[in-house]
Formats: sequence, C-alpha cells, structure tokens
Amino acid sequence: MVSDDSKSSEARAAPAARRGSLSAPGVIAVSGLHSFIGRGVISRLLARSPAPRVVGLDYRRPFQLDERVQFHRVDLTEPTADCRLAEIFEQERVEAVLHAAFRTNPTPDLELDHELETIGSLHVMHACAAAKIRQLVVASSTMLYGPHPDNPNFLTESHPLRGHPDAHAVRDRVQMEKLLADWSARHPDAEVTVLRPCWIMGPAYWNHVVRYFALPIAPKPMGYDPLLQFVHEDDALAAFERALLHPQPGIYNVVGRGVLPLSMLLRLGGRRVLPLPSALLYQIAYYPSRGQSGDPPAAFYDYLRYLWVADGQRGWDAFGEPAYTTKEAWIAFVSSRRMRRYR
Amino acid sequence: MSDPNARERRIERRREPIAAHLRPAPSGGEVDALRRALDDLRDEIRQRFGAARREAISRQDAPRRSGWEVLLEALQRRIGRLGMTERSGEVDEFGMDEIALRRARPILDFLFEHYWRVDLAGLEQLPEQGPCLIVANRSGLLPYDGLLLSHAIEQRHPSGVRPRFFVADWLMTAPFAQPTLARLGGVRACRENAARLLAAGHFVIVFPEGAKGAAKVFRERYHLQRFGRGGAIRVALETGAPLVPVGIVGAEEVHPVLFKWHAPARALGLPFLPVTPTFPLLGPLGVVPLPSKWVIRIGRPISFAGVASGAATDELLLSRLNEELRGKIQALVRRGLEARESIWA
Repeated sequence: MVSDDSKSSEARAAPAARRGSLSAPGVIAVSGLHSFIGRGVISRLLARSPAPRVVGLDYRRPFQLDERVQFHRVDLTEPTADCRLAEIFEQERVEAVLHAAFRTNPTPDLELDHELETIGSLHVMHACAAAKIRQLVVASSTMLYGPHPDNPNFLTESHPLRGHPDAHAVRDRVQMEKLLADWSARHPDAEVTVLRPCWIMGPAYWNHVVRYFALPIAPKPMGYDPLLQFVHEDDALAAFERALLHPQPGIYNVVGRGVLPLSMLLRLGGRRVLPLPSALLYQIAYYPSRGQSGDPPAAFYDYLRYLWVADGQRGWDAFGEPAYTTKEAWIAFVSSRRMRRYR
Repeated sequence: MSDPNARERRIERRREPIAAHLRPAPSGGEVDALRRALDDLRDEIRQRFGAARREAISRQDAPRRSGWEVLLEALQRRIGRLGMTERSGEVDEFGMDEIALRRARPILDFLFEHYWRVDLAGLEQLPEQGPCLIVANRSGLLPYDGLLLSHAIEQRHPSGVRPRFFVADWLMTAPFAQPTLARLGGVRACRENAARLLAAGHFVIVFPEGAKGAAKVFRERYHLQRFGRGGAIRVALETGAPLVPVGIVGAEEVHPVLFKWHAPARALGLPFLPVTPTFPLLGPLGVVPLPSKWVIRIGRPISFAGVASGAATDELLLSRLNEELRGKIQALVRRGLEARESIWA
C-alpha cells in the first residue's frame, strides 16, 4: 500500500511539472451547480488553500451553496444566455470556465434537453469567445463513442463519436462536441479541455445508470456479457480539478484501470440477475424507458450488449493515476449501498 | 474502603509474568516464515472443513426451504455452471478469464490429443517471447482452429503464454458466443486490437482470409482466399513484430459445407445457412464436429527488418508482400495435406 501511494503521488506530481505557459487561473466559473461534477469540483476547489474565486452559474440557486461562491442566475436555454454569460464573465474577470451544465439523467422533454445540452453549450462557447476566456473545460462522456459491435476493444480519443441512434442525450452531446471542435478550431488562443469520463460509480453518485445497478433484480440482455469499466467519483472529480488548475488542452478519457464483464460485476455485487432475450427485454422495458428517459430501451441496454471500453492512457498520463480501479470503484458503490448479500 | 490504586496494582501484577514470558520481537525472516505457516494452515483448514461446513449449512437450511426453492437453486447453480458464471472476479483487459480457461483446458486437451489427433510440427520456429504475429488459414464457421492453435502453443511452447486468436465480427457479437470466446482468449478481429496486443508483447493469431475463409464450401477446401486488405502485413510492419505463417489442415473437414443455402438464411437475417451432411438434417446433433485428422505446420518466421520503415503506406509493396505470405501459407497447407494419409488418419 505504501508503495502504491508513493507511486500515485509521483504520478500526480508529474503533470504539474509539465505545466506549460498557463498557470492556475484565479477566477473560475462553473456552470451547472446541480450537476454532480459542477458541485463536486466547486467543493474541491474551495477546500484548497488558497482557494480560487469561484463563480457559480445555474438557472436557480442550489439549496446549500457555499457563501464563497459568487452565484449568478443564468438560464442556458434562453436565447440571450450568451450575452448574459459574457457580461458575467467580464464583470467577474473570469479566467477559466468549467462547463458541466448537462443533464444527469435524460428526460422525456427531448427539445429542452437539446436546448440545454447543445444550444446551451453553444451559448457558453460564444460567451467565452466574447469575454476572451483562455481556458474552457467541458464535461463529456465516453458514452459518446456509442456501443457498437464493430468497436475495437479500446477506444482512443481520436475514435469517431458515433453515439447511439436512440439515445437523445448522447446525440445532443455528440453534436455539442462537434460544435466545440469547430469552435476551438476557430479560437486557437482558447485552451479547450474535453474530459470524457466513463460511467461514474461511488458512494455519492446517482443517475439512471447507477439506478440500474442498484436494482434488486437486474435484467440483462441474454447471451451478451460485454466488458465494462467505471471510474470512481473521486477520480473523476480529481481529473476535472486538475484540468482546471493545470491547463492541458486536448481530449481525454477519464476511466479507471481494468475492465470487468457485466455478469462478473453483478455477481461481485451479490445481485440477482434476470437474463432476458434482448427482443423480449426491449419489449418489456419499452414504456418504462420511454417514460423515464424519453428513449426506447435500446438507448440504455445496448450499452450492456456491446463493447465501448475507452483507453484511458492519455488521461492517466495527463491527470495522474486514478486511485480506484474499475473493480474498486464498483465495490465502493456496492458497499456504500450495502447491496452485497453475504451467504 | 479499598485503596484506589488497588485495581491498577492488580493489573500490574497480572501483566508482569506475561511480560516476562514475551519473546523479543521476531526478525523479518521469522515473521515471513510464520506468515507462510499460517497461510498453509488456513489453506489446509479450508480444504478439510470447507466442504463439511458447506454441507452442514445446507443441511441446516434444508428443512426451512420448500422443495421448489431447493430445485430452483440447484437449477440456477447448474445453469450458472454452464454459463461459466462462477469465475474469479478478475479478467485481463481483453476479457480472458483464467478460471474459465482452467475449466476449458481438459476439453481442449481431449480435442487436441484424442479427437482430432493433432500432428503439430515447427513449434521451434516461434520466437522465445512475444510480440509475434501468427498468420494462419481460416476454415470452418466455428473458431476451432484458433482455439486449438492457441491451446497447442500454450501447452507446448516453452514460454507457456496463451496466444490471443482473432474472431470474426459476426461471431464476436453473436449472443452466447461472445462471452465464451472472450473468456478463452478470443479477440474481435481489427487492426487497433492487433496493434495493442502486439505492443503489449502478446502472441496474436490472425486469419487474414476473414469471413471468406470461413464461408468456403467443401470443394474449395484448402484454397486460400484473398487476404483481406493487407491488415496483417501492415500491423507487422508498423509494430516490427515477426510474422509466422501457419498452415492448418483438418479443420475444413470438421463441418464440410456442401452448399450455402440462402433463402431461409435471408429470412432469419443470416448471410447464409451452411448445409453439411449432418447439419440441418440431424438438427442440433448435426453441429457435432467430425473427427478428422488435423495437421498443423508452423513455417519459418518472416522478418520485415529489411523493408523500409515507410513501407506501411506503400500499397503496391504491401499487396506484393501479402501475396507472398499467402503463397507461403498455401505451401504449408499443401505440406500438411501430404503428411496426412486420409481425412481420418
């Protein structure tokens, strides 16, 4: 354990040493205070000494917001959000922006999701250009590569984003990343970091994916057993924090080390598994899935059928070794929810 | 009233003799020895009493459960064993599972030694250690050839590493086949995977004929098809891994495809339905492979050290090298056919 710790601290020290011309920003704006990443990164930033000044942007004030956060009400779905954002950025002298205002769970309101995720991000980009923000960090996901039968075992950052035809949230974010790539090509002086975490697991994180893994009986497409990977919530937040404090432009997958097949994960979690023929599963799950996410069940269950494991080497080199492997992240989640049945 | 310090004194008195008997702190070697001894003891206890305890527990539980529950649990266990769900909880990054392999090895051994009586020669041609790209001819719809070749190399080669074999897309994404093959070391055939495996120093078995090789009918047997788009050569050039040609004889007769039946297959969404002397006729029994005699010949490794580094982009050179490689494997196959007296011996 001791050697592990020293190794990881070395790995973490490395990026700081390789830091380029950019230094840590003094004022950081975070959009999406209700998102896990926005909230988590803010609390990590404020725990530092000296803490950078943090400007929080959201459409309403969260219940418990640290008084050190300068809150501004911005609705990214409004047509004039970009002007409002640019004003705030100028007024607060913002140097870096973390854009994390994305849906934690896709909602049946497809239009609103699209307005928020794609157009809202466009507003953020435009405001960054207008206010001459030099650093933009965007929260994406490895789900954007999409589960496809013809994926290689490890997807690198240069792999095309094919998404999933049924998953509207993924589709919106693929569009967002395309717009972002265009935008950053047009604004070469802005340092854009895109972080693509895989499925996040941990004691505190909760979304529709975690909800599936917390079900008492997990339905599973029969005959398929893809390799899955997780990243622990602490590792994901640490990567975002480091991306903000030690700017390294580029696209990075943020994943834990190691992979595990779905069946083995569920078994490790001591779960009851209900394998169903995919056609039947999709029939049964059609209406619940439509009601919850607005998408047919394939939008989620295809991620449990085909391979979409991302290669994290670039991210590990840039942001340091993750503290948790896939298995450890899963066990952290399982033990926090006391799901394991000891027999 | 009692002395307030009496209790402490009592404790002191009790502690003294113990302290006198305490040995000095053991040295590092002693600790290790002790730890080993304890580990051995624990293993022994587990071995001896584990089974008995499990039995006792099940007997204890038995009266409280209804017959249905017992039956269901037994069924679940049985199905679980079939589906190889009892596993180590660890797989490597391509999904190979040591526990599943340990179960499969006796079966593969039986197939290798007694069922197909594989005659293997040229193992010394393989390098001592990876990376190494093994290129073989493909035959049959099911990947027996990849499975057996990787098993043979694992068992007979001094390095003892298990080569990964490439599996066609359609099989690697087919339900039930994918989990099983991935656990046994199968990897979806694509250039990214080959590059990654070779960079990690693995032995990789590829079949450049791809689906065309698998879809041959019986009268075309042992005629090597076009070699894809030169992916194998390109990867070997890019990674600098030595390339070893291998000819496999015998796998073509395992399921002799008389003709491809298209009409019912299209309705089912398959490319074609292979018709063998046994397959649709005998139903599921027809899937049992025939016990042909196998011959595997491993050729001399081909090194691309002399080829310029920019050759990976020279398409004409690539296609020439590709044809050369195909010729070499075809020659190995011919040698294998000559070594065999008949299909069955």
